[in-house]
Amino acid sequence: MRELLILLLACLNVAHVDARTWRYRSGDGASLQTVINGTAAGDTVLVEGTVSEGSIRVDRPLVLLGGADAVIDGGGENDALLITADHVTVKGFTIRGSRRSNLDDMSGIKVNECRGVVIADNFIDKCFFAIYLSGVKDALIEGNTVLGEPGEEDHMANGIHLWKCSKATIRNNRIEHHRDGIYFEFVTDSHITGNTSLHNLRYGLHFMFSHRDAYEDNHFEDNGAGVAVMFSKEIAMRRNRFLANRGASAYGLLLKEINDGEIEDNTFQDNTTGIMIDGCNRINVRDNEFRLNGWALRLFANALDCDFQGNTFAGNTFDVSTNGSLIPNTMSGNYWDRYAGYDLDRDGHGDVPHRPLGFFTLLVEMQPYAMVFSRSLFVSLLDRAERLIPSLTPESMKDDRPLMRPPVRKSQAVAVVNKRLFPRSAFVFFHPSFFNQAGMGQNEKWRTPEHSVVLGHPCIFPLGGLQNTHG
Amino acid sequence: MLKVFKYTLIDLARNRFVLGYALLMLLVAQGLFVLEGDPTKALLSLVQVVMALVPLIALVFTVVYMYDTLEFTQLLAVQPIRRSAILGGQLLALAAALLLAQAIGLGLPLLVHSPTVAALVLSLSGSVLVLVFAALGALIALKQREKARGVGVALAIWFLFVLVYDALLMWGMFTLSDYPIEPFVVPLAGINPIDLARIMVMLQVDLAAMMGYSGAIYKNFFGSVGGTFAAALILALWVAVPVLFAFRVFRQKDL
Repeated sequence: MRELLILLLACLNVAHVDARTWRYRSGDGASLQTVINGTAAGDTVLVEGTVSEGSIRVDRPLVLLGGADAVIDGGGENDALLITADHVTVKGFTIRGSRRSNLDDMSGIKVNECRGVVIADNFIDKCFFAIYLSGVKDALIEGNTVLGEPGEEDHMANGIHLWKCSKATIRNNRIEHHRDGIYFEFVTDSHITGNTSLHNLRYGLHFMFSHRDAYEDNHFEDNGAGVAVMFSKEIAMRRNRFLANRGASAYGLLLKEINDGEIEDNTFQDNTTGIMIDGCNRINVRDNEFRLNGWALRLFANALDCDFQGNTFAGNTFDVSTNGSLIPNTMSGNYWDRYAGYDLDRDGHGDVPHRPLGFFTLLVEMQPYAMVFSRSLFVSLLDRAERLIPSLTPESMKDDRPLMRPPVRKSQAVAVVNKRLFPRSAFVFFHPSFFNQAGMGQNEKWRTPEHSVVLGHPCIFPLGGLQNTHG
Repeated sequence: MLKVFKYTLIDLARNRFVLGYALLMLLVAQGLFVLEGDPTKALLSLVQVVMALVPLIALVFTVVYMYDTLEFTQLLAVQPIRRSAILGGQLLALAAALLLAQAIGLGLPLLVHSPTVAALVLSLSGSVLVLVFAALGALIALKQREKARGVGVALAIWFLFVLVYDALLMWGMFTLSDYPIEPFVVPLAGINPIDLARIMVMLQVDLAAMMGYSGAIYKNFFGSVGGTFAAALILALWVAVPVLFAFRVFRQKDL
């Protein structure tokens, strides 16, 4: 008898399956808004088909589940979905058609003044702002895919935008082609984990006036700048990857007026500038890897008490540059591939200090066009002379205990050496391990390429051969 | 011309210097890759070696060889062979021998240790430098009668291109830094074949830095298709012009 009733109600499109679960199939009959208006707090609404009835407003605690091909199309009116109540869950929808407006911040999903919202597994297609949270506590934004439209900065907005929020968790989302991938303003005690932010016009992730936040295991690639952290305190940045952020003012990580930050175990690769530090205090930069960047580190002279330890600098055009002579920061125990010293007492640390700031770095700082002399004989002679008798480079910019070998990192990116044109076996003689066996090379066994395939030991990749396979 | 080419090549194959060059490059490249451990870093060191050593060796060897084979050349000149065929055969054989030596000494280690675009550009640039400086060497040898003088001129020219030109250019940049020198830096850097070859390699190995403000001007020009063609044209001129002059000198020369 009950099945019959369900069938009957299903024909009416709005099926009251259970006391608390509503099934809505778009097409004919009532609008989704009326269904929502008819629910009680804590109900579940399962939506199927394309809903295009303008802006949908959720003003009571509900679970909105997207069934097969569930689409909410705002029709370009206002926000596609507006949430104003506590404990709302939105899951499994495709959301599109928000109005584009810089005046009213229109967005795919907008959440206002509430707590406990969950936005999961949605696909947000070409909205102005994609997900916009304002004054929200305990939000969870997880597993969403956010695709914007490439365009001009004036006509673009942020992917995931949080304003005056706290204790938010943003996890495993993918954001492309927005202005900022993720934007935080006045957001505290929040976590950003495992997200991928690509091809954004401005920043992959942007903090303003946000304190005690952490972002970990994220991937930022090909953004205007990877991550910008500005005017914020106590931000922890761990195990992120900042790749290929290239351009005149492009940075892997831009730090401006940051106090007490932790930058640990990140990878900076192929960026024009790896980290730019401007006016920051007490930043700990530990165990990061800087590889093949233009400038690995730009440390402005207004930074104070920043500490650099255990980092790997390899293959960068310039390792460190600065704009002043007083360097009230410390560097110790980093690996520099340019280090030419020796280690007589065999403690793993070089016996003579390394001065990472080259003469040529200063020349380019003074006259940018001098860049053309990079790697010329003339410049390398000048650099060598300056290293022997430092005259222009700041005395205090040095690493007293440079590492002789790159440190093995805590988290190793799984990397694949690119395929070779010919099988190695054809060139046994040329192979470093041939010399190892003969006791001629300095390489230890673990540094031979066969082993490197498993774990990306930072010293053996051919140029451009690094392909990270984990997300 | 083919006969001259063949016999010159056979002679060059027996020349210890060519073999030595191949072995030296092999030793340097192989040594760098093995000792450095990191192919990227080895490649960067190799860039400096190639940009300094390759022009020097190509230049000096060509000059010395031209003087050493003068008697053979005289012998050929009394035969019913056109003079252009004699010089053409000799130059082709020289270029072929040096390129082959370089392919073995530089190309092979690069192929084995670092088969990347950057390595390809490096070996191509190195090959072009061989051609340019072999052409210059031939011209010098034909112009100067005395061997010691010829070698001296060759060394001076090498020094000029590899060091003095850069020093002067940099001095000019810093002296005139208050003026809009932008339109001049790209052509001036591009005129010197060594600088040009180095820029081409740099666009591969220092790409990230070249995308920045300081490198942008070079990247925008030499990184574009038109710029690549311009660079190829300049390098081709650097080969063609000395060779043409060499032919002219040789045709009228009293051997």
